[in-house]
Amino acid sequence: MTDEQGTSGAILVVGGGISGLTAALEAAEVGNDVFLVEKNAYFGGRVAQLNQYFPKLCPPSCGLEINFKRIKDNRRIRTYTMTSVTAVSGGPGNYEVTLETAPRYVNSNCTACGDCADACTDEIDNDFNFGMNKSKAAYLPHEMAFPRRYVINKDALSDEGAAAVKASCKYGAVDLDMGTDSKTITVASIIWATGWTPYDPTKMDNLKYNESDAIVTNMMIERMAAPGGPTDGAILRPGDNKEPESFAFVQCAGSRDENHLEFCSYICCMATFKQMTYIRERYPEAKIYVFYIDLRTPGKYEKFREKLMKDEHSTFIKGKVAEIIPESDGSVTVVAENAMTGEKIKQNVDLAVLATGMQPSLNVDGAPVPLDTDPSGFVNSNPETGILSAGCACRAADVVTSNQSATAAALKAIQVSRRS
Amino acid sequence: MNVQPDLDFIRYLKTAGGDTMKKCYQCATCSVMCPLSTDENPFPRQEMIWSGWGMKDKLIGDPNVFLCHQCGDCTAYCPRGAKPGDVLGAVRAYAYTALGWPTGLAKLASTAKGLPMLIAIPSVIIFVLWAISGGMVIPTSEDFAKYGYQRFFGYWDFHWLAKNVAFIDFFMLGAVGLAVVGSYKGVTNLWKQMCKREGVNPDFKPSLVQLARDFVWPSIIEIVQHNRFRECGTNRNREIGHKALMWSFIGLFIVTLWSMFANDVLGLWIPSFHGPMTIWNPVKILANVSAIAMIVGCGILWMNRSKSEAEGNITPTFYDWFLIWEIMAVAVTGILAQYLRWAGLITPGYIIYYFHLVTVMMLFMYMPYTKFAHLIYRTTAMTFERYRDSSFVKNPLDK
Repeated sequence: MTDEQGTSGAILVVGGGISGLTAALEAAEVGNDVFLVEKNAYFGGRVAQLNQYFPKLCPPSCGLEINFKRIKDNRRIRTYTMTSVTAVSGGPGNYEVTLETAPRYVNSNCTACGDCADACTDEIDNDFNFGMNKSKAAYLPHEMAFPRRYVINKDALSDEGAAAVKASCKYGAVDLDMGTDSKTITVASIIWATGWTPYDPTKMDNLKYNESDAIVTNMMIERMAAPGGPTDGAILRPGDNKEPESFAFVQCAGSRDENHLEFCSYICCMATFKQMTYIRERYPEAKIYVFYIDLRTPGKYEKFREKLMKDEHSTFIKGKVAEIIPESDGSVTVVAENAMTGEKIKQNVDLAVLATGMQPSLNVDGAPVPLDTDPSGFVNSNPETGILSAGCACRAADVVTSNQSATAAALKAIQVSRRS
Repeated sequence: MNVQPDLDFIRYLKTAGGDTMKKCYQCATCSVMCPLSTDENPFPRQEMIWSGWGMKDKLIGDPNVFLCHQCGDCTAYCPRGAKPGDVLGAVRAYAYTALGWPTGLAKLASTAKGLPMLIAIPSVIIFVLWAISGGMVIPTSEDFAKYGYQRFFGYWDFHWLAKNVAFIDFFMLGAVGLAVVGSYKGVTNLWKQMCKREGVNPDFKPSLVQLARDFVWPSIIEIVQHNRFRECGTNRNREIGHKALMWSFIGLFIVTLWSMFANDVLGLWIPSFHGPMTIWNPVKILANVSAIAMIVGCGILWMNRSKSEAEGNITPTFYDWFLIWEIMAVAVTGILAQYLRWAGLITPGYIIYYFHLVTVMMLFMYMPYTKFAHLIYRTTAMTFERYRDSSFVKNPLDK
């Protein structure tokens, strides 16, 4: 049977982060047609924002690059960025899905030369860096963005900006009249790999995230430590750019908490240990205090924990930080009860890092179509209906586990295709 | 450490509002959120694990259990829904029973099952006394207007002790006496346990004067000012409710003392003191203002509790509700009896007055065992808290 797209038994993968890339590649490389759609202007998802993976401490280009290469070489994968699913109808083996692509305002003539950004006079908050710096309204999302093509935020462009950007492009790539594009595809199954969003730290009113620059999230530390980040790899206190002499890691900031995320986000303990290595590279003498309920470093990660816990300038305190007091000198005081000694600790530090957890992105933005989810918003995988989930859309997980679940989802999707 | 869990204790806590305690995973959020918990002695995290493990000996002599004002800040921020505030309330309920004397009465006052008996005891005592006093006759409306309820238990010609005074003193002073002895035993027992737990050296003891001046009195001042209630974030208007209630009790205590003095002493020479007071009598005004404050204060706490229960923030318990009902019953029957007297409705008036006597006697008699016992035990704990930090306990040269 041949359908409109010339694909048969195709698989739709929603989300182009590490899980979506893996699921798409695994399915395509055994001969299935795959649609890979990504809401952002680039593939790579959260992993692209990291400085390093744990526990091997290699950069995210390791892993992402090879996957991008595999995608470029594979004719069976059709990729769509800035695209979301808006409607799904039909049944297993024969889903009709409506996709909507937001205008990028830059067409495929773009060579990523950067002239438009140089010419652009308007600036926007850099979302990729969690707003810690600005970018031009005509921008490349990040250094190793794939596809390597600029994006224009038209709403942020002034009239002069628009004229300048248009005039600067020698290749005729800027198209400010571009509109929203909608298309319908038919697929046998759908893999939701919509990933996670860092839990909004302002929801924990006792942690006063909004009231001090000295309170940052673990994902902000990743961006600061990354070579292409807002500080070019330096870990500095936002606002006054002070080199912190002391750090507090606030574990379970929003995770394992009925009032916030009731599940364990799985990665935050390891992320903290990893970020301790970032700090040590930059500040060998800085004091580090880690406040935790339990340290959860399962399996082989135990070795990583043991190594970092030997650090002589680090202190580990069993007790959750339930209050942060912003101080007038720009520092903060974190308050916890040390459950080992039964005494309250008020520790003043230059920078407090909230180890915020993973909220399923579908639970933040809302699912575009009704989905079978658990109470926390993770999508249940169902091979019968061909509606599957992978990575952090399925459960809070690290990269390795995400890739395992992506491969599993790909296998189930292939089975649905063959069945129909 | 060898832990011997007391299963009966755990079972009791679960029925008294502590059914959530096993959810606790010891993150200590509660100890930080609690506005009353101090840096050296934070609570209620430790109390939560002792409760879960059934370590009742650690808890009964623990001042923190009584220092808790159950404002609910810990419960609001608890990541597990373990409701530390309710668990501490349950521990207090247990402690009042365990410290109570006589034990049988204390046990009776601790569960809803005992409620019929709790009402029956004063009801029967007063009814029997009323019957044998020969006062169980409906007076003429003139007499009712003149004497009010002053001849509830009848009248005799013996000048030095009016019949009504004799009967009322008999059971009310009896009930108060029992409460005073019970309170004394309970408080001294608690004090001993707290001293033992803290490892207080018995060689350095303050004199009674020192104890009263340096430790008890500042605690009472602090209680009256409601400083600790004001710290609470989650339940702010509890402070207003509790303050109104406390002042109404102080007001009515003064009224009761005056009435006792007027009836038992002044009445011997000036017979008019055996009649009801006019409405503009300052003591009467104080009584009425206090009664209204009592209803308002109790009403605020009643509504607060209902609202929190409806929102699922606290667990309804007999221990909490019994005191609210009891106080409300005292205030309502008292005001109603006065109103019926003014209205000249003799029979309903006498019946309501009977119930007023029953509720007042209940309040007195069960004070050391019900939630009302916080009056003595929290004061004791606050006193101990001061004592613990003084040089009688801490060597000022240490540290």
